[in-house]
Amino acid sequence: MKKRVALLIGCVILTLSLALTGCTPAAPTDTPAEEKPEVVKVGWIGSLTGDQAVWGTCELNTVKMRFEEINEKGGLLGKQFEVIGYDTRGDATEAVNAVRRLTAQDKVIAVLGPNASGQAISISSVLEEMNVADIATVATNPKVTIHDDGGVKPFNFRVCFIDPYQGAVAAGYAYDILGFRKAAVLYDVADDYSQGLTEFFEKYFIERGGEVVAREAFKFGDVDFRPQLSKIKEAGPEIIFMPYYYKEVALSANQARELGIDAVLMGGDGWPSEVLLEMAKDAIEGCYFVNHLDFDDPDVQDFKNAYTAKYNLPVELNGYLAYDAVELLAHAIEKANSFDPVAIRDALETAQVLGITGKINISKDTHNPEGKDAAIIKIEDGAYVFQQKYSAN
Amino acid sequence: MSVFLQQLINGLSIGSVYALMAVGYSLVYSIMNFSNFAHGGVIMIGSYIGFFAMTAFEIPFATAFCIAALGTGLLAVIIERIAYSPLRRRNAPFLYFIISAMGVSIFLENIIIASPIGPTFRTYPKVFGTTPFIVGGVNIGRLDVMMFVISAVSLMLLIFIIEKTRTGMGIRASAYNLKASALMGVNTDRIILIVFGLGGILAGIAGVLFGMKYTVYPQIGNITLKSFIAAVFGGLGSLPGAVIGSILLGIIETFTSGYLSSQFRDLIAFVLLILILVLRPRGLMGKITEDKA
Repeated sequence: MKKRVALLIGCVILTLSLALTGCTPAAPTDTPAEEKPEVVKVGWIGSLTGDQAVWGTCELNTVKMRFEEINEKGGLLGKQFEVIGYDTRGDATEAVNAVRRLTAQDKVIAVLGPNASGQAISISSVLEEMNVADIATVATNPKVTIHDDGGVKPFNFRVCFIDPYQGAVAAGYAYDILGFRKAAVLYDVADDYSQGLTEFFEKYFIERGGEVVAREAFKFGDVDFRPQLSKIKEAGPEIIFMPYYYKEVALSANQARELGIDAVLMGGDGWPSEVLLEMAKDAIEGCYFVNHLDFDDPDVQDFKNAYTAKYNLPVELNGYLAYDAVELLAHAIEKANSFDPVAIRDALETAQVLGITGKINISKDTHNPEGKDAAIIKIEDGAYVFQQKYSAN
Repeated sequence: MSVFLQQLINGLSIGSVYALMAVGYSLVYSIMNFSNFAHGGVIMIGSYIGFFAMTAFEIPFATAFCIAALGTGLLAVIIERIAYSPLRRRNAPFLYFIISAMGVSIFLENIIIASPIGPTFRTYPKVFGTTPFIVGGVNIGRLDVMMFVISAVSLMLLIFIIEKTRTGMGIRASAYNLKASALMGVNTDRIILIVFGLGGILAGIAGVLFGMKYTVYPQIGNITLKSFIAAVFGGLGSLPGAVIGSILLGIIETFTSGYLSSQFRDLIAFVLLILILVLRPRGLMGKITEDKA
């Protein structure tokens, strides 16, 4: 009996210590808040430990750097800013705890991040309870800003475009810029990402007047695509849309060439990887894919140089979108002419700002940046070459 | 018409991959009367041996190919000694062999994932050119031709060993009746080791060819589920049956994907398996069996 009690006490202590340490501030941000009462607090959440730590660290660095720059220029509405960042450890529950702490204890005016869809989806109930808006960075799942019933989540926003939108961009670019009229699609029937891209691609390509001559499916784990590709070859498309990840892209591109298919291949942000070039360099020569942005885009060079000079680290994709999340928030604060979280949210609903990753026109119905620019990248001489920014309308 | 021929070639090519794997299954089955599910794991290891021989040690293809085949031959023998031989000595029921085989298969897959090799997939360096042969509007990959030739040669060698050598006679006798052969003075323990060694060599060959055609990853073994169906289809325990079953399965799958829809592909493959088991349990060419697992 005694043993059991001891065990129970042990458990309680363990649980308590877990609960207490569960949400430590990521970095001891310079916080003598009481001495400077005019400081306005902005929250950030994301992964600073675990697999995604590289991305989270880059985001937090970017957000801090941007607000330091804003502070140096005199702040906004006459006030200075302070950034409070919490680590979510890549975990949805931690993300909820972090948002609760930011809103209830730190009284932030808005939250930036996280980058992962899983965490961004789970925080909406706390945001709605506390009436504070969040701007997600690279959370691309449609459900981040939309409830399951189709209604928009009132306090969730984002600066990246949603996954399926890449399909629309690919269709527009293939039809308008490359001048193709006959397209085929090969897609992964067991994957939401692949299906979403396919749906948007077909819709936009057909709306513009193009024809989808073949639509073939495979299942994740397949390694041989020749039966489907032979069928596609018979239909004679000028372009084949391949919205899936690089391993399958490499295999299917090689097999397409082996079958004598010389159509241009096109895909989404599942493509870029060193492995793809290594496996299928010749097969994808002259092909295109859609990405959120390109590191060689002239518009992002100033930020890239400033960041590298300050932190001596390369900028990840997340950094660019965190930069634009700050831009969007600053714009909304000025537009609302207030630090009231709800006023900021109202301003966000119709915010329009030109970010470094493209123009961000938030739609009231979806809280997504509609018609945002994507980067078109072409494979030339075995390297990824930035072509242009392009948006689908 | 050329599409039909192209799909036929695709089917033959996929079928010949299944065939190499299915023959190893059938060979062990014919002696031991149980389905050696560890075969898939051995194929996967063969694929990795060939890959690292060629990349890390920069050994030329032909040599790397032989190293992989011998390595997996040895591995299969070791597996037999560790996982099956103790069961055999205790006359354990066949179910125990199958469970032991599954254990080995899961062990092999996870040892690769846990090791520094890790779960990421790898790609073989290109040995044969990628430009296909074009015959009458049909494209035939160079690698496919090589695979077909290598498969055919190794299967013929195997059949030669079984039909024409003294050891082969021992294998045939043991396949007919293991206990009776032992009574007649056949060293069945040695025969079993040889059979596992041969099965392992075939697994290594299949692994290298599969890795070259597609990629190398720890779950390669899963594809042997298909060759298991092929082996049952052709008749477990019959080598020609395994080859014919595999080619037919490859062609059926390709035509299902090509003319119906690829979503139906696995559906049809497994319905076929059930139909065969219900209507003709011994498969197309299998020996008549009573109590086989």
